[in-house]
Amino acid sequence: MEKQPQRIVSDSGFEIEVVRKDEGYFHVRVSRANVIELILSAKQRCGKNILQLISVVDRIEDDIFQLTWILEDTADSSVFIVSADYPRENCSVPTFGDIWPTAVIFERELHEMYGIEFPGNPRQYEDFLLEGWKELPPMRRDFDTLEYSIRTYGERRKRIHTDPRKFIAETTGEWDTPVPMKDEDR
Amino acid sequence: MTHLLLSITVTTIAALAWGLLLGGISRMVTARIHGRIGPRLTQNYIDLWKLFRKKSSIHHGTMFWLAPMFRIAGGAGVLLLVPLIVGNTVIVNMSFSGDLLLVVYFMFFGCLGMALGAGDSGHPYAVIAVSRGLAQMSSYELSFSAVILVLAAGLKTLSIEEIVMAQQDGILSWNLFRYPFATVAALITFLPMQMAYPFSIVLAPQEIPIGPPTEYSSRLLSFMFSGRALFGVAKLVLFVNLFFGGASGWVSLLIKTFLLYMFPIFVSSVFPRFRTEQSIRFLWFVPTSLAAIDLLRIMI
Amino acid sequence: MYCNKLPEIPDDRKKIWEKVDNMARANSLWVTAFGTGCGAIELRPLHTSRFDMERFGIAMRPTPRQADVLIISGYLAVKTLKRVIRVYEQIQDPKYIIALGSCTMNGGMYYDSYNTLNILDRYIPVDVYVNGCMPRPEAIIDGFSLLMKKIKEGKAEGWKNYIENLEYYRENQKKVISNWDLPDYNW
Ligand code: SF4
Repeated sequence: MEKQPQRIVSDSGFEIEVVRKDEGYFHVRVSRANVIELILSAKQRCGKNILQLISVVDRIEDDIFQLTWILEDTADSSVFIVSADYPRENCSVPTFGDIWPTAVIFERELHEMYGIEFPGNPRQYEDFLLEGWKELPPMRRDFDTLEYSIRTYGERRKRIHTDPRKFIAETTGEWDTPVPMKDEDR
Repeated sequence: MTHLLLSITVTTIAALAWGLLLGGISRMVTARIHGRIGPRLTQNYIDLWKLFRKKSSIHHGTMFWLAPMFRIAGGAGVLLLVPLIVGNTVIVNMSFSGDLLLVVYFMFFGCLGMALGAGDSGHPYAVIAVSRGLAQMSSYELSFSAVILVLAAGLKTLSIEEIVMAQQDGILSWNLFRYPFATVAALITFLPMQMAYPFSIVLAPQEIPIGPPTEYSSRLLSFMFSGRALFGVAKLVLFVNLFFGGASGWVSLLIKTFLLYMFPIFVSSVFPRFRTEQSIRFLWFVPTSLAAIDLLRIMI
Repeated sequence: MYCNKLPEIPDDRKKIWEKVDNMARANSLWVTAFGTGCGAIELRPLHTSRFDMERFGIAMRPTPRQADVLIISGYLAVKTLKRVIRVYEQIQDPKYIIALGSCTMNGGMYYDSYNTLNILDRYIPVDVYVNGCMPRPEAIIDGFSLLMKKIKEGKAEGWKNYIENLEYYRENQKKVISNWDLPDYNW
């Protein structure tokens, strides 16, 4: 079994953009139609046996979610990273739950935080961190956390003064050092 | 009759106060060993009073309520069956009416009641602790009966009174010097009885947070505390009587129990905890074989 | 198996005892070992020989049944609030709450988070706030001594407040906990 994923990349019949290549580190970007094939062949042909993480970046400007799968080979800790873009609206991504059981949990979290659907994941509608969340998924960038926080938890209490010296002087009447201090006083 | 009742009351209350004070001292000593200042001497009394006056609104069944009483009864039973002071005729309690075997029975009676109550509380940690505790109890019971066998074979009696009387001619007649191996074995079994550290698998603060009393609160917990203090003192008096020549006066009783009480504390603050099976294996073999050495010496 | 009765405030007929009790309560505060947020890490040094909180009679208890004080050590997520309510209601009366950090007072640096409470005393009655982000162990000890003073003066009455205004607190709690499935009162 060859260790380097170069062969997969050169063998594959589709277009692969290499983002960064390094010793034990290989990051590629593919179109979303080829994600499954690429990841499966990486697992079978070069021993990337662990799915470390699935991460999402919400690129609201381009109207896409950028998903990233990080695979690792436990024998030599080399990583292989696959990125692909998905549309933000009704985003639906293939699940890897039947290959790596950890994926079930990652995907549950992503469903809860971003509202991404993973058809075929048996547990994706279970609560993960938030219990009984009813709003827009909170990590999407079109979700206004400040507005939500004020609406639900109330306006925060604020001090009226922002200058601590003035505040202390007003509350305790003790701060009488001239501001700014002269050099000889320091 | 009145005299007996009065003497019983006085003994129990005094033993409780002394036990709590010893507990306070032990907390201070442990703190000093850690390099801390430690709580006040009276901390245990304060804790007890606070617990006693706290509200309680938990109910888990009859045994749950009875267990602290069992504990107190067990402690008081042991205390009252053991002669406190050699030759004292004022406070004799019931020391004439029971022998060593009855005392041992009472010692396990208290633990058993505790186990039933904790089991009734239904908390998983309490149940784990109870199963551990009973397993450990059966193992140190074995070693302790071996020690009793040594005393019975050597002195030809099971009455505590007579065991004490046999130790009255000078310090060398103490069982400590007559049967040194058995004494060491008894001191080892004293550690798990006091839940001291290498054998503290029942309370195990970091594994099964404090074990049996997990669900106990307020007043019941304060009874549990006093039961424990009482039990501690009773066991101390028993050990002083069995191996250290009894006490010739109040002062010597206090000094001897105090010194004996410090032993588990010092051991406790320097040792980590055994696992359950390690503890049981140790208690089955080491103290039992030590006692067997003395038994062989007597036989030959 | 739940008890459905709501808690009641005991009547204060024995005023003289009450003074002695308060002295005892103030000098033997047992704390539930329950940490939320960043602040739990600042509680650990209190056990060590440097700060040694046992000299004030403060001890840690692993179970709420035996504790008097609950420390909310930092930001409180909604999910944790549910557990806090359970733990708090399982503590037997009288009970006190110390809240640490600016997060518990006004949200602190998480004021715009979607999941942490901003003002803690809408949900549970707080007796003492200790400010700082995170308060140093000295400050926490200071908070404890303030609590002791309040108890001795008989002013630490957060638990009575909670029983009296249970409806108000419940309403607020239910507003933020969307999957409310607790019983009326968690004995
Ligand atoms: S006040 Fe600061 S240290 Fe405390 S929980 Fe909030 S952010 Fe963390």
